[in-house]
Amino acid sequence: MSRIGVFVCHCGLNIAKTVRVSELAEFAATLPDVVVARDYKFMCSTPGQEMIQRDIKEYKLDRVIVTACSPLMHEKTFRKVIENAGLNQYLLTIVNIREQLSWVTHDIEEGTAKAKALLNGAVYRARLLAPLTSRVIDVNPDVLVVGGGIAGIQAALELANTGTKVYLVEKNSTIGGHMAQFDKTFPTLDCSACILTPKMDAVLQHKNIQMLTYSEVTEVKGYVGNFDITIKQKARYVDHNKCNACLACTEKCPGKGVSEWDEGLVKRKAIYIPFPQAVPQKPVIDRESCTYFIKGKCKLCQKVCEQKAIDFEQQETFSTVKVGAVIVATGYDLMDTKPLVQYGYGQYPGVYHSLEVERLFNSAGPTGGKVTLRDGKEPQSIALLHCIGSRDKNYCEHCSRVCCMYSLKFAHLFKEKTSADVYQFYIDMRAAGKGYEEFYNRLIEEDVKFIRGKGARVTDSEEEPGRLIVEAEDTLTSKFLRVPVDMVVLCPAIVPRADSKDLARLFNLSTDKQGFFMERHPKLAPLATMTEGVFIAGVCQSPKDIPDTVAQAYGAAAEALTIVVKDKMELDATTAMVNPASCCGCQNCVRVCPYSAPSFNVDKRVSEINEALCKGCGLCASVCPTSAIIARHFTNEQVLAEMEGLMEF
Amino acid sequence: MTDFKKIEENLKKEAKRLLESGEVTVVLAYGKGFDEKHPMPFAAKSVADVDNIVFNEYCNYNMARYLVRYPQGTKIAIAVKAADSRAVIQLIQEEKIKKENLVLLGIPVIGMKNPKTDEVIDSKTTCGMHNPVLYDVLLGEEVHGQKIVSPYDVLAEYEAMDKDARWQFWKDQFDKCIRCYACRKACPMCYCDPCFIDQNKPKWADKAPQSPGNIMYHLTRFHHLAGRCIDCGECSRACPVDIPLYLFHKKVAKECEEMFNQVSGMSIEDKPVLVNFRVEDSDKILE
Amino acid sequence: MDFEPKILGIACNWCTYTGADLAGTTRLQYPQNVRVVRVMCSSRINPSFIFRALQLGADGVLVGGCHPGDCHYNTGNLYARRRLATTKKILEFAGIEPGRFRVEWISASEGNRFAEVVEEFTTQVKNLGPQTKLKIQE
Repeated sequence: MSRIGVFVCHCGLNIAKTVRVSELAEFAATLPDVVVARDYKFMCSTPGQEMIQRDIKEYKLDRVIVTACSPLMHEKTFRKVIENAGLNQYLLTIVNIREQLSWVTHDIEEGTAKAKALLNGAVYRARLLAPLTSRVIDVNPDVLVVGGGIAGIQAALELANTGTKVYLVEKNSTIGGHMAQFDKTFPTLDCSACILTPKMDAVLQHKNIQMLTYSEVTEVKGYVGNFDITIKQKARYVDHNKCNACLACTEKCPGKGVSEWDEGLVKRKAIYIPFPQAVPQKPVIDRESCTYFIKGKCKLCQKVCEQKAIDFEQQETFSTVKVGAVIVATGYDLMDTKPLVQYGYGQYPGVYHSLEVERLFNSAGPTGGKVTLRDGKEPQSIALLHCIGSRDKNYCEHCSRVCCMYSLKFAHLFKEKTSADVYQFYIDMRAAGKGYEEFYNRLIEEDVKFIRGKGARVTDSEEEPGRLIVEAEDTLTSKFLRVPVDMVVLCPAIVPRADSKDLARLFNLSTDKQGFFMERHPKLAPLATMTEGVFIAGVCQSPKDIPDTVAQAYGAAAEALTIVVKDKMELDATTAMVNPASCCGCQNCVRVCPYSAPSFNVDKRVSEINEALCKGCGLCASVCPTSAIIARHFTNEQVLAEMEGLMEF
Repeated sequence: MTDFKKIEENLKKEAKRLLESGEVTVVLAYGKGFDEKHPMPFAAKSVADVDNIVFNEYCNYNMARYLVRYPQGTKIAIAVKAADSRAVIQLIQEEKIKKENLVLLGIPVIGMKNPKTDEVIDSKTTCGMHNPVLYDVLLGEEVHGQKIVSPYDVLAEYEAMDKDARWQFWKDQFDKCIRCYACRKACPMCYCDPCFIDQNKPKWADKAPQSPGNIMYHLTRFHHLAGRCIDCGECSRACPVDIPLYLFHKKVAKECEEMFNQVSGMSIEDKPVLVNFRVEDSDKILE
Repeated sequence: MDFEPKILGIACNWCTYTGADLAGTTRLQYPQNVRVVRVMCSSRINPSFIFRALQLGADGVLVGGCHPGDCHYNTGNLYARRRLATTKKILEFAGIEPGRFRVEWISASEGNRFAEVVEEFTTQVKNLGPQTKLKIQE
C-alpha cells in the first residue's frame, strides 16, 4: 500500500478553462491508494509548493502526483519540492494536462474525461515507483568551445578569465568568423576589425585558452562532466612550432587558389594566411592549389623558409581532450542564391551577395575598400534586395533578422563611398533593436530610396547593355516598377552551416525545422540543449545580430561554468540494471547499447551494466527476452501499469 | 533416396572415433526409443553408448536444442541435418556456443517423416533444405537435383485470407493451446531461462491456458524468434494439439528476409537482425 | 453517439513528447483520443507493450520517436524501426487490422506534425471501429 497525494493545478485559466479541476481532484480521491487530492490555482507558486510539502508531512505521503504542465517544464521544480519535504525525488509523477491537453482542446467534457484517464494511469504507475539514488560523479573542470567566431571567442575569453581552461576549436586556419569579414557594424558603424581583432589577440595570448585552429571535432564520447572529445588537426603542411610568421613563403608562392576569405572575388596564394590580422599569423598550404601537390615539383616556399617549417609530408593528427562542458558556437552560412535563377546571381556580373559586398567595403578586401564593379567601374545606381530566400515559404520561412539593418549599413557606406543612387527593395523594414529605428530614420534622411516591395526579378537591360533591371511591385502605390541599376546586392537567407547536421549528430543536438540547433526551452533555457552539458550560442541557434550573439556567449559561458565550477555533480538515477537471476546470457543488451554500458561476465554467464556509461534510454530492457534488465523509472511493470490505468477510462 | 542405414553406420563410426580419441566428450545424436517410429534424443558419452545410436526417417529432433545445456568449453559432436546446422549457426551468431568446441556431423537427407502422420516432411512445414549448411564431416551423399520449392509457398493460402478469417483461424488455433510449452522445449532457439511467460515481475500474461494469455505467449514468442527461427518445424511436431506454429514462424521469417535481406542461420558472420540495424533501412517497412 | 476510439500513444521524451508539448504551446487543436505514455526512447518499447495495449482495450497504438539519424541516443530508433516493423507484421498475420498500429517520426520542432498525425490516426482508427479481437473481454 502506498499513500499518494494528488495535486491538480489550475494554471490560472490555462488548465481550468478546459478541464474541470475540482471534479478532477474529487475523482482522484476515489482512486486506489490516494489519501489526499487537492486543486489549486498555481501549484508551482510558493503557496502551492508549501501545500504539497505540508500534505506530505501531515498525510505521511510516500508518492506525489502533480497534475499540471509538462514534465519538461516543472518536473525538476517539483522534484526539489518533495525532496525538501523528505521524499525521494523519483517518487514524483507529473501528469501533463496543459501542453498535451488543456491547450489542445476547447471542449471541457473531453478535457475532463481525458484528464481522468491520464491521472488514473499516473496513479497506477506511481504505486510502482521506487526511490532511486542519484549517482555522484567527478566533473572535469575544462570546457570545449566549438567555433572561433565572435560567439566562440567571447565565450572562451569569459571562461578563461575565471581561471577555466578552455579548448577553442576552429575549422578555418584563423579565428574571427564572419565578423572578421565585415567592414563596419550596424547601427553604430564601429569598425568591425577594431572591436574584434583585440579579442582575437586576447585569445591567442590567454594562458588558459588552447586554440586549435584548422581543426574539427570528429568524435564525442562520455557525458556531462566527463566528455572525451576527439579533435582532428588537419594537415597544414607548415610546422607552426617552427614558423616565425615572416610570411616570405606567401610572397614567393606561385600557386593561385580562390580566396574563401574574400568570398571568391580574388585569388590568393596556395600558402597563405586568410587576411593580414589572422590569428594565428601562420600560414597553411591548400593542397588543391599548391603547385607541388598538383605537379609534384615547386617547393619554392620550402626554399625560402629559413625556419625549415614547411613539411609536405605532414599528416592530419587526432587528439583527445577531456572536458566537463561544451559550448557550440558554429555560426552560419549564407544561402546559395544560384538556384534562385530569377535573381541572376552567377549569371550577371553586376549581381553580388551581401558577404561579397562586405569585402568590397573592407580596406583589406579585394578592392582596398573601393566600391567598384567586376569591370573596375564605380556603380552609378545600386539596388539592395531584401529577403532573398528568407520569409519565403519556397525556401526559408524564417526572417534572417539582420538583413534590414546591414542593408541600411550598406546604403550608408555606398552613399559615403560612391555617388550612386541607392534603392532598398524591402517587404517590411524590421528595425527592432537599440538604436536601429534611429539608424533607419537617419538613412531616410541620407536620400536612400526605399521601395516597399520585394525584388521579384533581375534581368539585363535591352536598352542599355551591361545594366540590370530590377522588377518589383511597389506595394504602397500598387505600381509595377522596372528600375535600371548597375549593381544588385542580394541579401540571402541565413542558413545553418552545411555540416551542422554532422555536428548535431556528434553532440546529440536536436535541430529545428530550418536546421538550426534547438534550445532546451525557447524562453527558459535558450542556451541549453537536450544534451546535458552542451550549450549553444550565436547564430547556430538562430539568426541574430552581434550584440545578441555576444550576450548569448556570455550566457553560455555562465551555463558551462555552473557545471565545471563544482568538483562533483549528480547524474540522473534512471539507469538500467541487470537482475542476474533472470539473465539468460543472450547478450542482446551488449550488442545493441550505443554506449557499451552492458558487458558480459564470462564467468557468471550474465550481463552487467556499468552505470557510469548508461544514459537510460531503455533499449537494453526492450531487447532483453527475459526481462532481466530493469530500466529504472521506466520498468516493464511501471509502463504496463500506466497503460492499464490509461485504458481503464 | 537417402540410405538411412549407411548414415547410421557412419554416425556410429564417427561417434566412436571421436569419443575414443577424446576429441569430444559427448556426441549428440539419436537413440533407440520404444519403437522404430519413436527414436529419442541421445547423448553418447562413451564408446559403449555408441551402440545405442540410431538413424532413421523419424529422427527429426533438432539436437542443437541441447547444445546450450553443456558448460562452456565442453567438446561436443552433434549430428546435424540441414535445419539443425542452421540452428548451430544461429547459436554461434548469438555467442551461445563456439564453433571451436564443436564437431558437426553433417547429415544430408531427404525423406524424413512425421511419425504422427507418416507424411514426408518437406518445405511445407520446414525450410525444405536437404544438405547441412555447415559441417565438419559429411555422413552421406549430398542431395542434389531436387526441385527447389520455396519454404514460403505454403503461406500463400493464409496470406490470401481475409484478415477477419485469419484472425479466427489463429484464435481457434491458440485457443487449443494447453500451455504445455512443448514448442519452446523443442525449439533450439528457446534457451531463455526463465522464459518471459513464467515471470511474475512483470506478469506479461495469465498462466492459465486461456485465450488472452495464450495469445500473448505466442505473439511474443514469435517476436522473440523473429529473424532467429531456422524453420526446423520441431515446435509444431512437438505440439500435442497440432497448432501449426510453423506457419507463423515462416511468415515472420519471410517478412524479416524481405525487410532485412538476411536469412537466419546461414552464415556465422551475420548478426541477428533484430539486435542490428542498417542506417539505410527504409521507413517503408513500417507501413 | 459516435464511436470515440481509445488510442495509446507511446512517445520518446526528446522528440515526439517535446513535439507534442510544442503543439500545445502553439495551441494547435486535435482530437483527444490519444493518451500518451512517455518513455525516454522509442527503443524502450517492448513489442509486448503493443500486444498488451491491444489486450487492455486500445483501439489503436501510436508510437512516436525521433527521426532516424536524430535519435537522442544515436541509434535507438534504428533498432526500434526494425523491432516495431516486425511487431506490425506479426499483428497483421494474426489478423489484426494493420491500421491500428502506427509508428511515426516526429521531431521536437514538429508540433504541427504531431497534431496532424493524431488527427489522421484517430480518424483512421475510428473508421476501423472498436478493436475487439485482442481486447480481453470482462
